[in-house]
Amino acid sequence: MLPEGTIAARHIWKRFHADRQRMLLRDELERLRHRFSGKGRDRWRWALQDVDFMVEPGQSVGLVGINGSGKSTLLKILTRVMYPYAGRLELSGRVGGLIEVRAGIHPDLTGAENIYLYGSLLGLPRRTVAKRFDSIVAFAELEQAVNRQVKFYSSGMQMRLGFAVAAFLEPNVLLVDEVLAVGDSTFQQRCLDRMRTVLSQGTTLVFVSHDLASVEATCERGVWLHNGVIVDDGPVRQVLAEYRQSIEESAEVSAPTSGPVRLLKTTTAGERGGMPVTQGPFEVTLRLESDKVRTGSVCVGVSDGPATPFFLSRRELQLASGETEVRVCMPRLPLPRGRFYCWVGVQDVKGNDLLSWHPAAHFDVAGPDLDIAPKAVVRLAPLHVEATMQVEHP
Amino acid sequence: MIGPPPELRFKRRIRLLASLREVWRRRELVRSLAERELRARYKQAILGFAWAVITPLLLMLVFTLVFPRVAKVNTSGAPYPLFAYLGLLPWAFFSTSVSSGGQSILTNMTLLNKVYCPREVFPIASVGVAGTDSAVAVVVLCLLFVVTGFVPHLDAVWIPLLLLVQVVFTLGVTMVMSAVIVYLRDLRHALPIILQLGLFATPVALSLDDLVPERWQPLYVAINPLAAVIEGYRRTILLGLPPDGQLTAIATVSAVLVLIGGYALFKRLETGFADVA
Repeated sequence: MLPEGTIAARHIWKRFHADRQRMLLRDELERLRHRFSGKGRDRWRWALQDVDFMVEPGQSVGLVGINGSGKSTLLKILTRVMYPYAGRLELSGRVGGLIEVRAGIHPDLTGAENIYLYGSLLGLPRRTVAKRFDSIVAFAELEQAVNRQVKFYSSGMQMRLGFAVAAFLEPNVLLVDEVLAVGDSTFQQRCLDRMRTVLSQGTTLVFVSHDLASVEATCERGVWLHNGVIVDDGPVRQVLAEYRQSIEESAEVSAPTSGPVRLLKTTTAGERGGMPVTQGPFEVTLRLESDKVRTGSVCVGVSDGPATPFFLSRRELQLASGETEVRVCMPRLPLPRGRFYCWVGVQDVKGNDLLSWHPAAHFDVAGPDLDIAPKAVVRLAPLHVEATMQVEHP
Repeated sequence: MIGPPPELRFKRRIRLLASLREVWRRRELVRSLAERELRARYKQAILGFAWAVITPLLLMLVFTLVFPRVAKVNTSGAPYPLFAYLGLLPWAFFSTSVSSGGQSILTNMTLLNKVYCPREVFPIASVGVAGTDSAVAVVVLCLLFVVTGFVPHLDAVWIPLLLLVQVVFTLGVTMVMSAVIVYLRDLRHALPIILQLGLFATPVALSLDDLVPERWQPLYVAINPLAAVIEGYRRTILLGLPPDGQLTAIATVSAVLVLIGGYALFKRLETGFADVA
C-alpha cells in the first residue's frame, strides 16, 4: 500500500478512434461488418504512449505541453473519469479536482442549491457542505446572489461557484486544470493562494496550465508532454526553459513574410558583440526591407515569451526603398539571468500594421539569479533592478 | 503502429458487490441528483407537481372513453377507470424511468467527463424521480377510490413484493438503456416509439387474459415482468385475491436477472463512456 497522496502511473497508454466522428447506427453496423469480414481495421490514434511517472506525497508537479499533447487525457485518467488502454494507475487517498465545472451546475437551481448538489457530486457529505457553506460563498464572492437562480448569474459568477466548492475539498491529491482561465485576476490570485494553502498541508498537486509563470511559481517539478510522450521530467525551471525554447522556436518560424515591410534579420548582442549581461549594455539590430520610401514607427520590445513586453522602445523613422538597418541601443539591461524574446513590429503614421507584432529572436542573459519571490506572487519578478536593503532602528 | 506489450493491457475487473457498496456510500448524491431534477422540472411549470397526476389521469380518461367501447375488457367486475389507472401507474413509472433515465448518462456527459462518481447514480436518480411522481399519483388513486366508492383490498404481503419486482425490473432496463444509448445514439429517437408500443404490449388498457392466451402467459411474463406486476396489483387490490403464484414467481426471477445482467452490462460499457463522448 502506497502512502496517501502518492500517484504511480505505470506505462499508461491511451488510444482514440482516429476517424470516428459520427455515432450513428449505420456507421456502427458498417464497423461490425468490417470486423467480422476481417477487412478494414479500425484506425487508432495514440493520445498517450508509455507515460510513466511517480509522484511522491506532497510534491507539486506542473504538467505542460502544447494543445493536443495529451495533458487533459492524462488528467482524466488520473481522475478516473477515463480508463487507460494499457498500463496501471495507482492513486492512494482522496482525489480532488479543481477543474472547470460549469457542466455540473444546473441553471434553474439557485446558487445555494447548486452548492449542495455540487458538493455531493464531489463526494462531500451534506453536513460538511453546510458547515463550510459561508466560507464557500465568501470565497466565490456570491453573498448577494446565493438565493438567485444560477441562470441569472454572469458566466464569471457561475465559474467561481463551481471552483469555490471544489476549493474546499480536502483531498490528498489535487488536480488543477487551467484554473487561471477562470474569473478575474483577483479571483485567480485567490485560487492560487488556496492551492498553495492546500499544498502546504501536504497535499500532492498536479497543475496543468499554459501560464508558465504560475506553473513555475507553484510547482517544484515539471513534466513536459508532447504528442502523448513525456519529453522531459525534472526540476520545474529546467523543464520550463526547454519547453519555452521549443515553443518559441516554432513561433519564430511563423513570423510574417509578406507585407509592405519585411524583417530580414534580427541580431542581439551585449558588450562588444558578446552575450548580454544583467545591467550591461544591450543592442538590437534589425535589417528591414521596404517596398518604397515610407515613414514607419518601429517598435522593439522584450518579454519572457508572451506578446506583452516588459519594456519597449518606439521611434518614428524614415525607411528607404530597399534595405534599412535599425540599431536600438540600451546602456543598462534590467533583465535577470534567463531567456528572453525580442518582439518587433512596424506601423505607419495612421497606426496600420506594416509589419505585425511578432517574436523575432530570442537571447540569453547572463547574470545573478533573481531574489526569490514570496510564495503568493504569481508571476516571478521579471526585471532586475539594483537595490539595497538595510535595517534601521529608529 | 507501435503499441504497448500485450501483458500491460488494462483489464478492469467488474465486481458488482463492490460497486453496489460504492453506490450506497454515495446515496446522498443519488438524492441530490433526483432533487435537482425535481426542483428544476417543477420550478418552471405553473402547475408544478400536478403534472405527475395529470398525465396518468388524462390517459385513464382516454382509455375509459375508448377501450370499453371498442373491445370487451374483462375487468372481473371492477370499475374500468380503476382497472385502467392501476395499469397506468406501474407503466408510467416504467416508461418515465426508461425514457429519462435512458438519456441520463448522455445528458450528463460533460459532467461525467470532469468529475468522478459512480456512473450508475444517474439512471438510479432518474428512477427515483419517476418513483416520486408515482407516489403523487398514488394519492390520486386513493381519491379515485373515494369518488367511486370502491373499497380496495390492501394486502400487506403482496403489494410490497409486486412493488419490488416493478422497481427491480425498471431499474435493470433503465441501466441497460442508459449505457447502450451512449454508443448507439439512434436509440434515443427510437425509444419513444418503442415505449409507445410497449404500452400496448403490456396489459395496461386490457387485462392479461385479453392480451395473451393462457398457455403463453408464463413465457410472456418472463419477457415482460410488468404484465405480472400489473395483473397482480389488480387481483390484490380490486379483487382481494392473491396474485397468480406461478406468474409472479417467473416475473420475480426474470426481473432480478434483468437487473443483475443489466448492471453487469452497464459496468462493462461504462469503461468506454468518456472515450466516445
